[in-house]
Amino acid sequence: MSARASGLRPWFEAYLAAFNRADFPAFGDYYAEDIVFHGQAAQLVGREAVLAFYHQVRTYLHERIELISFVGAPDGSRIAAELHTTLLGLRDWPDMPTGPVRAGDMRMRVSFAMYDIADDRFTRIRTARFSPPGREAA
Amino acid sequence: MTPEARFRAYIQAFNATDWEALQGYYAPDVRLVIGNGTELNGRAAIVDFYGQVKRQTRRTIEIVQCFADGQTLAAEIESEFLAIENAPDFAVRPMAKGDRYYLNSFVFYDFEGEQYTRIRAATFRREYRSAAGG
Repeated sequence: MSARASGLRPWFEAYLAAFNRADFPAFGDYYAEDIVFHGQAAQLVGREAVLAFYHQVRTYLHERIELISFVGAPDGSRIAAELHTTLLGLRDWPDMPTGPVRAGDMRMRVSFAMYDIADDRFTRIRTARFSPPGREAA
Repeated sequence: MTPEARFRAYIQAFNATDWEALQGYYAPDVRLVIGNGTELNGRAAIVDFYGQVKRQTRRTIEIVQCFADGQTLAAEIESEFLAIENAPDFAVRPMAKGDRYYLNSFVFYDFEGEQYTRIRAATFRREYRSAAGG
């Protein structure tokens, strides 16, 4: 799917849908080869590194992201999104970078994310936590 | 005026400590929510909050990027707080005179007409520089 052909928001929603169904080839296709990723749990460079990170995450957690707010730059070069993330622990992950998780734990948080885009791929993703830590527990 | 141009004028008013001009950018029932848990309702509460910040520090905001879509503007801003007095009760952390604190934030501004109705900010990166070099 092309951002230009489909419109930025549907293109982004398709990315989230692919992410939520753990369709690695589909959501990985949104990442530039040299993507710079500043997530809550990892700072990474490169598509392979980001996908390897999410492969690891998925062995411990079920992760679902919902789009709350969307702002697309008119020239298609950037997206700002408000995202609601739900994490469900599938097994214990005592060393999870944002804090230990046990099987069955559910965590929810709201983040603001900035996406830089070139040639229909994300070149940089940065996220900032909006919901304070004290308010994120389900 | 485009939402982006209006936002630049708003930040200019903020940096100039022009409270009267600043109030004009807010709807009467504007709501400001910061990711640290701070929540302010109404333009007077917001201006009072910024006034307190500016009594203790010189805060300058630089717009890194901003763009609007529909009735929301997204911005990445960089704030520098320079403590002009010892501020042990400063909103973010205790500061000594001369200390600097930098915040890089992602912010959503919902607007109706020419006024902001809801502002929500999350901190992406922060850096503290002590005047003592510590």
